[in-house]
Amino acid sequence: MGHSSFVRQRILQTLKTFNWQQWLVAMVFLLVAGFTGLHAVRTLRDAIYWQYHQDEPIRGWMTVGYVAHSYHLPPHILYQALGLPHKPPDKRPLLKIAKSQNRSIDKTRTILQDAITHARPPYPPPPPPDKEGTP
Amino acid sequence: MIDQFWAWVFLYGVPALFGILVVTAAGVPFPDTLLLLAVGSFVAQGEMILWQVLVVGSAGAILGDQIGYCLGLWGGRRLVRRITNKVGGADKIKRAEAFSKRWGGAGVFFSRWLVGPLGPWINLSSGITAYPLSRFILWDVLGEVLWVVLYVMLGKIFSDRVQGLAELLGNLTWVIVGVMATTILGWKLFQYFRNSGMTQAEKADIAAKSCITDNIT
Repeated sequence: MGHSSFVRQRILQTLKTFNWQQWLVAMVFLLVAGFTGLHAVRTLRDAIYWQYHQDEPIRGWMTVGYVAHSYHLPPHILYQALGLPHKPPDKRPLLKIAKSQNRSIDKTRTILQDAITHARPPYPPPPPPDKEGTP
Repeated sequence: MIDQFWAWVFLYGVPALFGILVVTAAGVPFPDTLLLLAVGSFVAQGEMILWQVLVVGSAGAILGDQIGYCLGLWGGRRLVRRITNKVGGADKIKRAEAFSKRWGGAGVFFSRWLVGPLGPWINLSSGITAYPLSRFILWDVLGEVLWVVLYVMLGKIFSDRVQGLAELLGNLTWVIVGVMATTILGWKLFQYFRNSGMTQAEKADIAAKSCITDNIT
């Protein structure tokens, strides 16, 4: 009899002697191990995706300045798209800006995405900001 | 409420960061990991000053943890005493206190920066089990300073991708919690298998030895 079949037999014999609490521990162990394994694979996949994709989704907590920094664009393009002056810079999160403009956050996000698309090649580079900072 | 917190951080900077970290460390739900990464990004953009963020952020988190500990120590202990007086189980509480004294330091330290979602619960349970305050403060300061420095610096380095990074780190935290739980349960199962081959005399011998060790510690 090989070592592995001895171990298998020992495990089966032990399982037969388990009471309900020990079975519960075994079940929870399998559940937690399975969940952790799946989650680890998903996290690894996300990490690889994150490493190669620079553009991240626009969220309500972000400021216009942060979105511009994240997409490597001059901020005045995005302020202009939202109809806001770029001087002084508006430091409110997008959720607050959307609320003050009676727009949904989805609409605000679409406007910004559209402005970002038009500020990148193959479109011509955006014009420089005006000195007054008017929208 | 969460929108308002973000607005305060962007409008008022470091004082708002302090206030928000106090309340989140005390248990108010808010994405504080994302907050520190975002603050790191603002440091990289020149809108906040690094040393101010690190000092004030750490101080806020440490103060919030003390509030959680005190709530556990004063309110929680009284509540537990009332429950044990009615339904019993005082011996279990004593055992929990002994366990906390032995492992509490590691729990406090790692829940500050590695498994953050457990932080407010560890603060409360440390207070309830009367984990010594001086040791709680020591591990808390070490853990919180590490947390603030680590996340702000990560935000500063990856300043244009903090949302994705926060999601990634959040998932990683749950993987770490899962690995810890799997290890504990796996060890328990291993003990069942190891003990199953022993004779009754051997089991009695191990039980006697563990009793002696418990009494010594």
